[in-house]
Amino acid sequence: MAKYTLKINQQEFTVDADPQTPLLWVIRDEVGLTGTKYGCGIAQCGACTVHLNGTPVRSCSLPVSAISGQQVTTIEGVSEDQSHPVQKAWIEAQVPQCGYCQSGQIMSAIALLDKNPKPTDDDIDTAMSGNICRCGTYTRIRKAIHNASNEISNGSN
Amino acid sequence: MEATNSIDRRKFLKLTGISGAMLAIGFESLAMELGEDAIVKAIMAEDFIDGTAINPFVIISEDGQITIMATIPELGQGINQGIPAIIAEELEVDLGKVNIVKSSATRKYGRQSIGGSRNTRSLYGPMRKLGASTKEMFIRAAAKRWGISTNDCYAKDGQVFKKGSSTSLTYAALVKEAAAIEVPKNPTLKNKKDFKLIGKPLPRPDLEMKVSGQADYGMDAKTEGLLYATIERCPTLQGSVAGFDKNAAMAVSGVEKVMEVTRKVYGKDNVGIAVVATSYHAALQGRKALNIQWNNAEFAKISSEDIDKELGALTKEEGYEHVEKGDFKATLAQADHVLGVRYDLPYLSHTCMEPMNATVHVKEDGTCEVWAPSQSPQVQRQFARILGIPDDQAEEKIKVHLPYLGGGFGRRSMNDSLFECLQISQAMTKPVKLIWSREDDTSQGPFRQRTAHAMVATFDADKKPIGLQHKMISQAITTQGRPSRGRLPFEVMEGINTHYDIPNISTRFVEYKNQIPIHWWRSVFGSTNGFAHEGFIDEVAIVAGEDPLQFRKDRLQSEPRYVKVLERLEKEANWNKKLPKNEGKGLAIVESFGTIVAHAVFLKKQNGKVSIPKVVSVIDCGVYINPDQVAAQTEGNIIYGLTAALKDPITFKNGAAEQANFDTYRMLRMNEAPRAIEVHIMENDEAPGGMGEPGLPPIAPALANAVFDLTGKRIRTLPFDLQKV
Repeated sequence: MAKYTLKINQQEFTVDADPQTPLLWVIRDEVGLTGTKYGCGIAQCGACTVHLNGTPVRSCSLPVSAISGQQVTTIEGVSEDQSHPVQKAWIEAQVPQCGYCQSGQIMSAIALLDKNPKPTDDDIDTAMSGNICRCGTYTRIRKAIHNASNEISNGSN
Repeated sequence: MEATNSIDRRKFLKLTGISGAMLAIGFESLAMELGEDAIVKAIMAEDFIDGTAINPFVIISEDGQITIMATIPELGQGINQGIPAIIAEELEVDLGKVNIVKSSATRKYGRQSIGGSRNTRSLYGPMRKLGASTKEMFIRAAAKRWGISTNDCYAKDGQVFKKGSSTSLTYAALVKEAAAIEVPKNPTLKNKKDFKLIGKPLPRPDLEMKVSGQADYGMDAKTEGLLYATIERCPTLQGSVAGFDKNAAMAVSGVEKVMEVTRKVYGKDNVGIAVVATSYHAALQGRKALNIQWNNAEFAKISSEDIDKELGALTKEEGYEHVEKGDFKATLAQADHVLGVRYDLPYLSHTCMEPMNATVHVKEDGTCEVWAPSQSPQVQRQFARILGIPDDQAEEKIKVHLPYLGGGFGRRSMNDSLFECLQISQAMTKPVKLIWSREDDTSQGPFRQRTAHAMVATFDADKKPIGLQHKMISQAITTQGRPSRGRLPFEVMEGINTHYDIPNISTRFVEYKNQIPIHWWRSVFGSTNGFAHEGFIDEVAIVAGEDPLQFRKDRLQSEPRYVKVLERLEKEANWNKKLPKNEGKGLAIVESFGTIVAHAVFLKKQNGKVSIPKVVSVIDCGVYINPDQVAAQTEGNIIYGLTAALKDPITFKNGAAEQANFDTYRMLRMNEAPRAIEVHIMENDEAPGGMGEPGLPPIAPALANAVFDLTGKRIRTLPFDLQKV
């Protein structure tokens, strides 16, 4: 066991954990932010996606010892009130069904739009294919990302 | 209402952090914020609501807040809003001003289990009646107070009005008197043309929580002192423990207990070893150290190759009769041409995004708190018997939270993980969360059935079909762990359309017995039968030299709803338009769970790669509640069905499933999904059909039929690789 200070959603948390503990379980069970989900544990489904210094990473496969001092953003850090353009677009397109994968989907979508504010369908497929949805919300996700892209670019004009 | 805790509604609203009146609250996370008292008392969703419960579903506070309980497990199908919308429609209240509150699991709400695409179908009538009766009670209370006839009153927007005047009384002002009135047995229901909510695409209130990580799933259950458990189970599903290294597991830092746990699956007791620790990571490390030796030689013989041969041998059996029309056997002698082929579908895992899990706290005082991510969450009676609690105290002593479900697909109608977790918590008298790893979830079953289908069609000299036989060979779900009943199990022939106007039709079932456990999987036998039957109907149409859509239309004239669906699909999919050489189209139509669904799948081959640019769907589900949910469920069924058709099967070698995680049991991803899915809904006044499953059975045959149109190659075995056709 060792002590780690984590910067999550602009807040500092000190946790006591085995160095090999995946960041996912520290976020969920030590820090108590359960919006980030466990889906596979081998970086194949994307349910655990968080941002590390703005880049999407799979927290299930990242030992807590490897992220010390870096900025972590989880779904809870995206906005206070579901007001992020991607969250708004998700509601407008009524994307989630069971919703379990959607935190990860939204974190991947935000990272995509940060890098590429005007993605094509192919860009979206490439960026989002690491996130599995068993309810089959893919067509709505694609539509929502386009809508969010429009709102972001209209907002910045 | 039961006595409430002293947390008022405003504080509760503040705690949820959501403004606006439309709320669907996951309460479990709140318990932590409310401090230790709240946790000890096992605060249930219902405890947060102020007001008078005029019935278990409708609660009205003195300040006018109307609450409608959402009592059916929400696994993404929108039922959390669907049922309250039905009540609100007849009750004449503005759903936008109603608090929709996710309830706990308890008998006062009636049956809360979900499956068989049943809930809207079975609750549409009763919940309309409940809403209408409640409205009538308010009208009677108002009429009494005004001293006038109920005929001179009407209800609108949560108030009762005196006809021809602006005098009104709110439901809140009337609730005490109304609650004392006997519930009317035969209330007047609204006309469909007056509906304001039913049939409208209302946005779902639970989505605000689902885009912000706030929705509470079973996996997210929180309580003081929670321990985490993982279980190593026998890779061959059955077997007994010969030995294991308990000390090595106990030596892992954080591990608190190592114990045997029994998982009951269809009458078989399977022992596993649970490792319980202060963190899930520690529990997993302990599990790795167990080094269990299994006595499982007899179960290690099972292989997919043998199963294949056993099914093949059974195709020669007569089996049980399902439908016999005319004399199919006689046509074999008369026929000018006979087509006989076999279709095969694999075992599959349900693979909910949220792996199986459960949280149970058996407390020192003899009570028990449960977080049940279950399609059948009312476990009080069964838990009580295990805990030695008398039946009549089960509801009082065992509190069951009903979290959001991260998918169900039938898998969560088996409560195996809850009973495993109960054993652990009972042994420790501590709160325990049991988490199945993805590998456990994929490889331990129960699975979707593996089926074989012997299909035979007979044709006259003009190549027109005179006979058709569909003989289905499979295990049955309802005869597992017991001898065959000697008759046709009710579930096995779903989705086989015997309405086709072919003079001699024979549909039969041959029962296969195998120890691999199977369980209800989205659309169940519709998912397997629909593929074989509609794929074969296409083959028959091609032999007959007819267009597959026209063939179906011509031979389903006795069923006008089918014909209308096909006509609509013909138009919406622009079916008769000739496609370029590198494109193909296919369709299928299947009725299941009271709903008829036809899909047209379009394929395109470009630069050597085959993609699915579009799927067009036509749904006849009778009266529907929320058209956007009909569309969403159909989109979901299409993706789920395409995954089953195109990705990995569950296969067995040396008794164990060969697939474990998403690297070996792959899911359809966004880059492989159809670019567009169009859903069209038929308008009629037929009784509501199910929507959770009926979109699934026709997708695989429509896809396979499109492959034939594109390539001339007939797909009769699932799964197949779309890039290798």
